[in-house]
Amino acid sequence: MYEGIRSPVIHTPKTLSEFATIAHRYPQAVIWGGGTYLMSQKDYYPSEIKDGIINLDELEELKRITRNDRFVEIGAMVTASQLLYAGKLVLPEILQKTLQSQASQIVRRQTTIGGSLCVPDIRFGLSTTLAILDANAEVKYYQGGKATTHWIPIAKLYDKDGKLLLGPQKALLTRIRIGLEYGDFQRFIIVEDPIRNTDECVIVAFQATRAQNTISKVQFCTTFPNKAYHISKDLVSKLSGQTLPIHPERVNTLSYELVSELRKMHGAISELQLERARRIFESFLHELNAQTLSS
Amino acid sequence: MKIECTIDGKALSLSVNSNKPLSLILMEDVGITSINSHCRGKACGNCIVLLNDEATLSCVIPAFRLREATVKTFDSYQKTRLYRDIERAYKATGNTPCPNCYASKTLIIESILQEMTNSTRNRTFGRNNLPIAGGQNDEAPLDKEAIIQELSLNTCQCMDMAELLQIVEIALTYRRRKRVRRH
Repeated sequence: MYEGIRSPVIHTPKTLSEFATIAHRYPQAVIWGGGTYLMSQKDYYPSEIKDGIINLDELEELKRITRNDRFVEIGAMVTASQLLYAGKLVLPEILQKTLQSQASQIVRRQTTIGGSLCVPDIRFGLSTTLAILDANAEVKYYQGGKATTHWIPIAKLYDKDGKLLLGPQKALLTRIRIGLEYGDFQRFIIVEDPIRNTDECVIVAFQATRAQNTISKVQFCTTFPNKAYHISKDLVSKLSGQTLPIHPERVNTLSYELVSELRKMHGAISELQLERARRIFESFLHELNAQTLSS
Repeated sequence: MKIECTIDGKALSLSVNSNKPLSLILMEDVGITSINSHCRGKACGNCIVLLNDEATLSCVIPAFRLREATVKTFDSYQKTRLYRDIERAYKATGNTPCPNCYASKTLIIESILQEMTNSTRNRTFGRNNLPIAGGQNDEAPLDKEAIIQELSLNTCQCMDMAELLQIVEIALTYRRRKRVRRH
């Protein structure tokens, strides 16, 4: 043991009410999901953890996956690996692709869904894809021994720079809910590793419904892990209702509109990332065109 | 914090800080020599161990998660028969990882071989009951892309991917032959 550093107390609640009691008694305690993010911090060890650690490992309520006709609910402590094993019956294809590209299987066995979404300053593929799938997160806020529950759209969990917006109170993301109505055109592309090459990484998720040569219900989200989390409402409304195929010049114009929007709203994105995002966006539209022309 | 666990077949009772990473416990408290760096969770992939028979990055496992766990490092793995398949594959291809990443790359390959030879076994999700009928818990076999993703976990550049894939392929042949003989 390191001299002068006390070993943190580990609280292991078995129910959410037990969690509420512990969270009230130890407001500074660190909430521990999979631990991959917490343990990758520079000052993680050796360091003093004042109120100890609340280990969520034994909260069975957070480890369930349930599905009905309208939506699938995934507990925050389900690991990426477990979710993938749940298979196509439960998950939209784009979510499977996102989870597969998130990390190698060895790491996926440890990262939890709640943990990936609650990283305070870096956004990964999961938050990008869940935003376009219109997923909601159940967040429980604990204040003065009382718990209040809120359903928050994933897209609203973060600010434009991708920082987590759960507020100053003790909060716990308990599960996410994904509706089962989604578009027939879904694409997810990640360029570079968001952990090892954060400054060059670009993540784009896109979905749309293609019916009688028009696209509707367009959703897309562009993420630059430590710089921006961008959902362009303007471009979404411009694309929705467009007749396919879209003229190549129009595709070009739209892609440059995305770039200027990104440049205007997020100064930190590098030229390489902007160009990558533009080309990925363009490739989705060209693919939509190609599918229309071949059908 | 007192932690009872089994490391390389020895039942140990360790007195360590509850949040100490497993990689540091193995290096500082147990004296394992096959792990020689601690990247602080930056996923350099040089600290792979088998935790309850599954390959894991030991730098992201805290001590409090080790209660009743079985940890197998390369030190004990290299004495098993399973290691022979990979060792023979190294010899057959004439390519061997550098001493720095030898242990980790070998354990990653072992993890891939286990996945590929046990592709129909059911996954157990601890006490988590997935309410999905029809045995959807079966894991999908790894494809080439997934194998490359697994192998990329170790960032050491001493071997190229084609060489590593060849080693996996040959080791898999040896492993399957061994299983056929056993059955």
